[in-house]
Amino acid sequence: MAALTPGAPAAGSTDPAAAGPPVPPRPRDDFARRAGRAALRAGAVLLRRILVLAALLAVVFAAVEMLPGDAATATAERGDSAAAIAARREHLGLDRPLWERFTDWMTALPTGDLGTSARGEKVADLLRDPFPNTLALAGAAFALTVAASLALGCLAAARPGRRTDRMIGHTATTAFAVPDFVLATGLVLVLSLWTGLLPAVTVADASGKPAEWTMMIMPVLALAVPQTGWNTRIVRGALADQADAAHVEAARLDGLSTTRVLLRHALPGALPVIATGIATSTGMLLGGAVVVETLFNHPGIGTVLAGAVAGRDTTLIAGCVALAGAAITLVLLAADLVRAKTVGAGR
Amino acid sequence: MTTASASTDTATPAPARPGRHPHPRRALLLLPAALFLAVALAGPWLAPHPIDAPVTATYAEAGDGALLGGDQLGRDVWSRLLDGGTALIGCAFLIGAAVTATAALLGCLAALRPRAGRVLERAADVAILLPSVLGIMLVALAWPDGGRWAVIGAAIVLGIPFAVRVIAAAAAPLAAAGYVEAALMRGESSLSITVRELLPNLRGTVAALFGLRFVEAVYIISTAAFLQIGPQPPEADWALMIRENAPGILLNPWAVLAPSAAVALLAITVNLATSAPAPRTQAVTSA
Repeated sequence: MAALTPGAPAAGSTDPAAAGPPVPPRPRDDFARRAGRAALRAGAVLLRRILVLAALLAVVFAAVEMLPGDAATATAERGDSAAAIAARREHLGLDRPLWERFTDWMTALPTGDLGTSARGEKVADLLRDPFPNTLALAGAAFALTVAASLALGCLAAARPGRRTDRMIGHTATTAFAVPDFVLATGLVLVLSLWTGLLPAVTVADASGKPAEWTMMIMPVLALAVPQTGWNTRIVRGALADQADAAHVEAARLDGLSTTRVLLRHALPGALPVIATGIATSTGMLLGGAVVVETLFNHPGIGTVLAGAVAGRDTTLIAGCVALAGAAITLVLLAADLVRAKTVGAGR
Repeated sequence: MTTASASTDTATPAPARPGRHPHPRRALLLLPAALFLAVALAGPWLAPHPIDAPVTATYAEAGDGALLGGDQLGRDVWSRLLDGGTALIGCAFLIGAAVTATAALLGCLAALRPRAGRVLERAADVAILLPSVLGIMLVALAWPDGGRWAVIGAAIVLGIPFAVRVIAAAAAPLAAAGYVEAALMRGESSLSITVRELLPNLRGTVAALFGLRFVEAVYIISTAAFLQIGPQPPEADWALMIRENAPGILLNPWAVLAPSAAVALLAITVNLATSAPAPRTQAVTSA
């Protein structure tokens, strides 16, 4: 490998982001200190993300409180008297002070207790089976998006300005504009009703999971295609920014192949931007999953949430927000770590 | 950047403008959106049948006076399609405009005053954790009588943090420019600097942001309508039509395909228009 890259020793595989002078050998205790500092940095990032999640939950709780109507009036029957509603309010614990209810809800969250739904069931029990199904759907779409947008973005960046680049650019712009439920409707019509290739409706087996893996194809596609459009543009843009960097220029002038320059020299530097960009689409994927699930009858939280909308069950939705927020926090943390690792390697 | 500061260079406008982005290409990108919006907004006057009276059999096929057949109650799909766009476009426009205007002011404030910038940055961190669909469900439930306004309010609040980030990033390099520092030293207020010095230079960013927020608003409103939050059944609404007519998709595919295509075309054409190059600097003469 060294023989192939005589002119750019610093831009090799171990130190991709910087083309600086050769690093002198370090003593061993320096390594320990670096590891300690890295752990400290990871801890600080973790703490910050958790604080942000807590802030979201506080905002959600406050919003639910401040808007008119509560679970007692929402679930009341039409002819209920004021006394009956007051009794209901007391039963649900809504008559206690706001601050007390908030601290109760927040301190119970880490133990896995998401509160009690308007119908008196445990929210955690209601979500235990469906939430993993939603995560599986969104996770599969996420993996597909990452793979496809990296591949398409690199393909477009390999020959900037040429026909492939322009075609991928236009397709990506078109793809991310189409709402996922519109795409899903089109897919059902073409792949299922007209050609009969795939089942139109997801059927759950005894354990509550989709009975066949082919039932996942259309929901995953409907979620992944618009997000791939968005992320392809991010990958393409990040690679374009890197193309002007000094070390990439140097690698290109050394006569390395386009693929090699792109993958070994431009991509590592573009990773922080790409990771941050792709991580922000997690929210869109989870939200979209809720919608697409109702269309395919996928056994996820979409079905539960549709019921919650009909039954005006705010606690249930707040519980879903908490779980979704936690899942997104994890992905953002992973993006933080990718960024810290890349930036750290450049030091 | 200096050509766009616009207060001093009215005498020499020529060198920067012509050449790079010829106008025909811009018009070509803007035209589909303009045409589509014009037809959709004029739709209610073009509809041949009332939107709430049955004129055909249930899920009747196309033809026989109904261009696209009938829906689940035998109402004319073509008339409902023409009628269903105005509310969606109007709401999306309102959301896009409100988000863009607020974000333009707050984003410039964030670039000018670092402390305010940090607060807004944290707010964006929080907002990213809330999927917009869940946020809308939450607001629509907690405010049951809100209807369309609940959706609009939620979409505006949820959209602002991300938009602020875009504007703040674009305004940051400008905030360090000499003429902005000079204005700060003169003791001008943040609002005055934002309106007189920063925003005229951010026209391109603001225009592109408005287009993107419009597309996002179309997504949010139509998704909410699809989940039956917002417009209620007798109304003709594209997303609602997709949902209502889904059971009869094999009998009259147009009842589902036509509104799907309408939502997709609206989003795609406006999105295409946002990729048009930013307007040149000639519009500002009296900053």
